[in-house]
Amino acid sequence: MNHTASGRSSSGRPTLSNTSSSPAIINHHPDANMLVEYASGSLPWGLSIAVSAHLQLCQHCQQQHAKLSALGGSCLNDAPKEAVNDDAFSRLLSNIDKASTPAEDKVIEHCQQTAAQTLVNAKRAGINAEHLPRVVKKLLPPQLRWQKISNALKSARLITGQGKHEVAFHKISKGGKVVEHDHRGLEVTLVLEGSFSDEEGIYCPGDFLVREPGQVHRPTASQNQDCLCLSVCEAPVKVTGLLGTLLNPFLSIQPA
Amino acid sequence: MANPTPLTTVKPGEQRTDTWSELLGRVGEAQDQHAFKQLFDHFAPLIKGFCLNNTNQSFGNDAAEEIVQEVMLKVWQKAPSYDPSKAAASTWIYTVMRNARIDMMRRNKRHQIDNSPIEVDDLWDEDSTTGPVVQFQRLRDEEVVQASFKILPNEQRQALTEVYMKGKSHSEVASETGLPLGTVKSRVRMGLQKLQAHIAGTAHAKVQA
Repeated sequence: MNHTASGRSSSGRPTLSNTSSSPAIINHHPDANMLVEYASGSLPWGLSIAVSAHLQLCQHCQQQHAKLSALGGSCLNDAPKEAVNDDAFSRLLSNIDKASTPAEDKVIEHCQQTAAQTLVNAKRAGINAEHLPRVVKKLLPPQLRWQKISNALKSARLITGQGKHEVAFHKISKGGKVVEHDHRGLEVTLVLEGSFSDEEGIYCPGDFLVREPGQVHRPTASQNQDCLCLSVCEAPVKVTGLLGTLLNPFLSIQPA
Repeated sequence: MANPTPLTTVKPGEQRTDTWSELLGRVGEAQDQHAFKQLFDHFAPLIKGFCLNNTNQSFGNDAAEEIVQEVMLKVWQKAPSYDPSKAAASTWIYTVMRNARIDMMRRNKRHQIDNSPIEVDDLWDEDSTTGPVVQFQRLRDEEVVQASFKILPNEQRQALTEVYMKGKSHSEVASETGLPLGTVKSRVRMGLQKLQAHIAGTAHAKVQA
């Protein structure tokens, strides 16, 4: 599995002295291929949400992404030049005139409203919004509907403007064990609050995990805190075992 | 690292990058139309060439002209948030173009974007391109990245070019070239590792010097 940083050179990791406000060290990152697809804009929207949220928490990947963007800049510099129409610049100037920028105070007011609304939305949903990545805050609907999947696990789907992936919050209650499950498609999990562990390790806020189809795992939340994750799934999650057969209908995919 | 390399050390070959960054800075600070015209004359043909080259989307001439309009309009509007000390103009304009392209593709596909609470700029935001990293380091990396790209072995540079120039996903590259997905992935990864090693080597050499 290459969902850890091992696929890349370790030389880019920032030292602690550089990271004044950095929280705990993040150990699991999107691999180089996924970051490249994100930086070049070919990664599907749903997965890009998870990568974007991870970047907002992870300086290491921000640095990688900055380098990948510089590579894009380099490709742009090397692109074959194609002459634009003669009137292109004058058209542009008139387009600039037409695109009346909204009054600045209105924009600020709108931002303040949005920020206030986010806090209200998060509180209503039982989530501490303070540490959430910006993009996740934006995804919070006015009324998040939690759906109980088992005693230990509940989930809430998020509307993201695409249909290929299911994007959802998953919350494992403290000490709770999730039913052993398998995936028919790729599943990406980003830990947002608390921590959980499975057969392969322990995962803390900011950690980004990729599970390939066929990998069975059984996450368990830590004893002291509920664990909140953002998950992005490609295809229906298949629950294995007898209990799984009973639970499976609740897990059918309905991208929103 | 007591003495970071001063920003003004620019080798002759790298001068270009810096000129455009300075011009873009002036557009942002003073809405300097003369500087904007110079930027347009340089970048508009590159953006158009980049998009026409994008066989994945089969852009026609008109669509490429529209992208140029859209990107340069955004460049004008967003220029005040551009910080020359954090990113080269070409990199910054590349990200504006990438976002415009994603936006255009989403609109064409008519996904359920009407009720989407997030926009392209929320997912590929500026802060993730120019994060809170030591700035001297950042600018130097960028110059080195651009230089090292040219020394990559052919097939690795090609794989990276397919992904960047043509905006293709790895699996699209695989199905079009007939190469196994694993091969495409490893070429991209090896290309990146070589870039990384070259960057680290150059940084090391600069510290030694």
